[in-house]
Amino acid sequence: MTSRGERSKKIDYILLSMYFALVALGALMIYATTISDDPITSYSAFLKTAAGNQIIWVGISLFALAVIQLVDWKFWQISAFPIYLVSIILLVLVLFFGVEVRGNTSWFRIGSFGFQPSEIAKFATSLALASYLGAYNTDIKRSSNLVIILGLIFLPAGLILLQPDAGSALIFVSFFILLYREGFSFTYIGVGLVAAIILVITLAVDDVNIVTLGLIGITTTILTTLFKTRFYWIVSAIIVLFFSFYFWGENSWKFILLSNSIILSILATVHYVNKKARIITFTVMALLLSIGIIYSADYAFDNFLKPYQQERIYMWLRPEKCDPKGPLYNVIQSKLAISSGGVTGKGLFQGTLTKLNYVPQQLTDFIFCTIGEEHGFIGSLGLIGVFLALLLRILFIAERQRSNFSRIYAYGIAGIIFFHVFINVGMTMGLVPTIGVPLPFISKGGSSLFTFTVMVAVLLKLDSRRYSI
Amino acid sequence: MASNIKNEVLIRVYILLFLFVAAAVLIFAKAIRISVFDGEKWRSAGKALVKMRPVEAERGNILTEDGQFLATSIPVFDISFDPNSSGMKEGDFDANIDSLAYLLSTYVDNSFTPGGYRDYLITMRNEKKQYVKIKLGASYAEKEMISRFPLFRQGQFKGGFVVQQKYRRERPFGLLARRTIGYVREDVPPVGIEGSFNYILNGEQGEQLMILVDEKAELWIPVSNYEAIEPKRGDDIVTTLDMELQDITEKALLRAMNYHNAEWGTAVVMEVKTGKVRAVANLGRTDEGWWETYNYALGQPIEPGSTFKLATIMALLEDRVVSLEDSIDLNKGRMEIYGKTVVDSYAHGLEKTTVRKAFEISSNVGMASLVHQHYNQTRDEKGNTIKKADQFIDRLKQFKLHLPTGIKIEGEAKPYIKTPYSTQDEWSGLTLPWMSFGYEVMLTPLQILAFYNAVANNGVLMKPYIVSEIQHMGKVKETFKPIIIDQAIASKSTIKKAQLLLEGVVENGTAKKIATDDYRFAGKTGTAQVDYQRLKNRTQISGYQASFVGYFPAEEPLYSCIVVINRPREHGFYGADVAGPVFREIADRTFASKIDLHKSINEMAKENKHYKLPSKSVGEKQDMAYLVKHFGLPTYGTAGSDWVMLQATAPDSIRVVTRKMEAKEVPNVVGMGLRDALYALENRGLTVEVVGVGKVVQQSIRPGTKLGNYKNIRLELK
Repeated sequence: MTSRGERSKKIDYILLSMYFALVALGALMIYATTISDDPITSYSAFLKTAAGNQIIWVGISLFALAVIQLVDWKFWQISAFPIYLVSIILLVLVLFFGVEVRGNTSWFRIGSFGFQPSEIAKFATSLALASYLGAYNTDIKRSSNLVIILGLIFLPAGLILLQPDAGSALIFVSFFILLYREGFSFTYIGVGLVAAIILVITLAVDDVNIVTLGLIGITTTILTTLFKTRFYWIVSAIIVLFFSFYFWGENSWKFILLSNSIILSILATVHYVNKKARIITFTVMALLLSIGIIYSADYAFDNFLKPYQQERIYMWLRPEKCDPKGPLYNVIQSKLAISSGGVTGKGLFQGTLTKLNYVPQQLTDFIFCTIGEEHGFIGSLGLIGVFLALLLRILFIAERQRSNFSRIYAYGIAGIIFFHVFINVGMTMGLVPTIGVPLPFISKGGSSLFTFTVMVAVLLKLDSRRYSI
Repeated sequence: MASNIKNEVLIRVYILLFLFVAAAVLIFAKAIRISVFDGEKWRSAGKALVKMRPVEAERGNILTEDGQFLATSIPVFDISFDPNSSGMKEGDFDANIDSLAYLLSTYVDNSFTPGGYRDYLITMRNEKKQYVKIKLGASYAEKEMISRFPLFRQGQFKGGFVVQQKYRRERPFGLLARRTIGYVREDVPPVGIEGSFNYILNGEQGEQLMILVDEKAELWIPVSNYEAIEPKRGDDIVTTLDMELQDITEKALLRAMNYHNAEWGTAVVMEVKTGKVRAVANLGRTDEGWWETYNYALGQPIEPGSTFKLATIMALLEDRVVSLEDSIDLNKGRMEIYGKTVVDSYAHGLEKTTVRKAFEISSNVGMASLVHQHYNQTRDEKGNTIKKADQFIDRLKQFKLHLPTGIKIEGEAKPYIKTPYSTQDEWSGLTLPWMSFGYEVMLTPLQILAFYNAVANNGVLMKPYIVSEIQHMGKVKETFKPIIIDQAIASKSTIKKAQLLLEGVVENGTAKKIATDDYRFAGKTGTAQVDYQRLKNRTQISGYQASFVGYFPAEEPLYSCIVVINRPREHGFYGADVAGPVFREIADRTFASKIDLHKSINEMAKENKHYKLPSKSVGEKQDMAYLVKHFGLPTYGTAGSDWVMLQATAPDSIRVVTRKMEAKEVPNVVGMGLRDALYALENRGLTVEVVGVGKVVQQSIRPGTKLGNYKNIRLELK
């Protein structure tokens, strides 16, 4: 029998090799995209290219990976909160001392070296949640604890929103995956999902009142199925509808809405007496809440969102409203590039659209296009497959942890990686709105590669010592 | 309870697993949809964006034999700016936009203020535009200047600087020989040398992968040097045209066209010994005056009229049926053949005269009666049917008048000579008599000229040609030598007599009024009726065609020349009055400008000593000393430096002026040739940019300025 000490030092090579594969693929793709005919004559010239720069960061990341394996695993649990605190401070400082890039103050720049504190914040929040939630006296079902948990998530997310970097802030929603695993009530998540669906529908239609009307319709239908007096309602509804269509005009829908509401209120009042109060209250409350969401979303969209943000939502939900040369351009070019690869792709370094810089931000947010173009549909599937395997492996690793801290941390980074991949790849295909998040391990950008490496490295370290507890 | 919790956790884990897998499936599905189901749609859209597109090859030049450009392709550049180039960094744009806008508004487009240009570019960037026109048709120097502007100097990818190279066809001589040089344009049949030698000038198109940057502007830009097939530059064509003669010819013809208010005219000058076409002028009437609209010299068959009488008389001489001193009855210039009347144009009132005289005064009656007598009989003395007309036509064929000249330019018309007794050709008893003075036969002006040229060339018929060399990148690829079509179109004695007759026309005949004492020339006038109807007693005509064809100098012919002017409306219509003076003017001015002609006339005359003394020419001491010695120039003063300036002071003396140059200062290079200036400046580490040709007249950095701060210097040459 092997001793604990020996077993405990074993690194999960499956996860490690997936990590290496993705990082190598990323560097190769960046090289493929930027390859040019200008001969590169020296190493120093090569290192100045995008690919060279990425190689440097790969080196730095690998070094960090190795260093982390040498650090005692307890360090992360102990220093989870200090790290979290530092990241919060950095998030505050960046608002004042950061460099503005494309309208966002999210970068610190020291010389040619730049990093985003929001990257650190994702890692730090994972650690903090793992540490807090993993503690024996924390119960997620207890509201006082829940408030702290939600606070841990929303504090950095809110600070990031101030930059404003909606993409990075959205990533913090991924922590609900972790919370769900740890017993967070599905009701809340369900309510959130319904609210999100109503929100999306509101933004996708021309006239929000139609959504309201629809919701009232659904509510009335639910209510009428509950009560015996539905006969009266149906009769009055038919009369109302008859008159509405007879005198159909510009404002007829308002009339329907209003009369339905009146009928509904009368019916509800009648039945309130009949002891079905709870369900009626719940339904009506839900309706009012939804209507509240609809109108505040509509108002917020028109008044709080910047034009470019409005455009992005439009191009996701209502591309017909967008100028193909305008905001829709990126996505169309991206789809062009992906489809031009066909099934098997054009071959490595043969991508033309991506090589020609035809796809915007093709090294960062749209790097998936290069894979699609050069390696085709099979290459895209392969990459998605590797990411899926990576996520499943992380879940597997998480579930074999004996320490709560390790498990929760693993779920945290699984959620983060999942959100990044889904949003990034979905964006290049028009599945989700254009939100600028990098593709983990692949996109150009040292700050992102380094952070994801640290996340994986810490997980590997924690996992390797899982028997030590 | 514990197992419940365990189960619940397990369910939650499974739900999360399901979530991940579902997300992956969703993305799979979307990927399949984009690249497989909708793939064709997206791919065809992509193909429309990136294509292998043809790259125009640089067209070859058309040169004269002394190396002047008649047509040349100049590279021009369409410059645009992609303010949303994906390689452009936000910071770079912001940092450079002010200086870029300033430079653009100062040096490229003055209609903008710097601020206006800046706002415009920022707007274009914000509107996600990928194409902003900067300058179309920029010259190389302009392109180089603009490419060094801030931001632009970072290139296409990072700087959004987009350059498309094109070629513009330039004719340094403008309209001179426009039709002969010709053109190749879309939708129009190609014309002239450009058209006929298109396959040589064209080169080979290349191919290059290009990307559509802007749909509306149809802007395709090349992708570095990716997958390119290099275009092959077209070959150059050296023509035989002599621009001096061309200029003389065109001006003389145009003057006559204006003076006589004519319909169209053409004039061709050919070198007698070689058949080289030295000048071709074609002028046609348009609403805006006379233009080179059609190559009449090559493409317009005409009834030659009296100029054809040379062929007639040569046929008679070859058959030895007449001699020049034979007596002939001109019947006061009027004669009836088969009920039709032949009339002489000039009222000479002569009856008995010699054949020579009849030719010199261009008597239709004379020629017609001779031909009628010798070739038009259908029965011999014994009453047998004979076909004498064949004999005459065979003589014309012997002179090669039935063949096109074979000049290598598209559009040469074929001569038309009737087949004897052919009903298809409407041969009649009148055909031969009328042919004798140039009707019922069609020749182009160039074909008539080639025939006269053979006479001038002692019977050797040369093929006219206009291209003497094909060059590739300055190296001779193919040389066209003069081609002799026929060593002798007629016997020596016939040729000699023909020459004497043509000289006689000028000395005693119809062209007497244009003769000159300065030199002798030979030729024949022609006055043909156009669009005529032969009536019983007279001919109804709608106009005349005046021509003159001949060669000069008569003793040792160098050039032959034909002038044809169609429908002169004012100031006469006779060949001698309308076309003759044009010939004279061409010959006169050719004598004035061609020294070698003078020599042959007056061997003893001293060479005209007329030259310009160097003025403010700067060069190295040794070079200048060599020049001064070589030309035997009178100089004074001594050179106290390595560089000297020669300054003409008096009409015949030159002062040598010292030009000092310090090693660490910008030298004064004004007055130097480019080679010396480059040597002086580049030795001091300056990069030189040059505009113009000749000597340096201006330099952008003041002489004596300390080196070090400057890297570039701009020289203006003139």
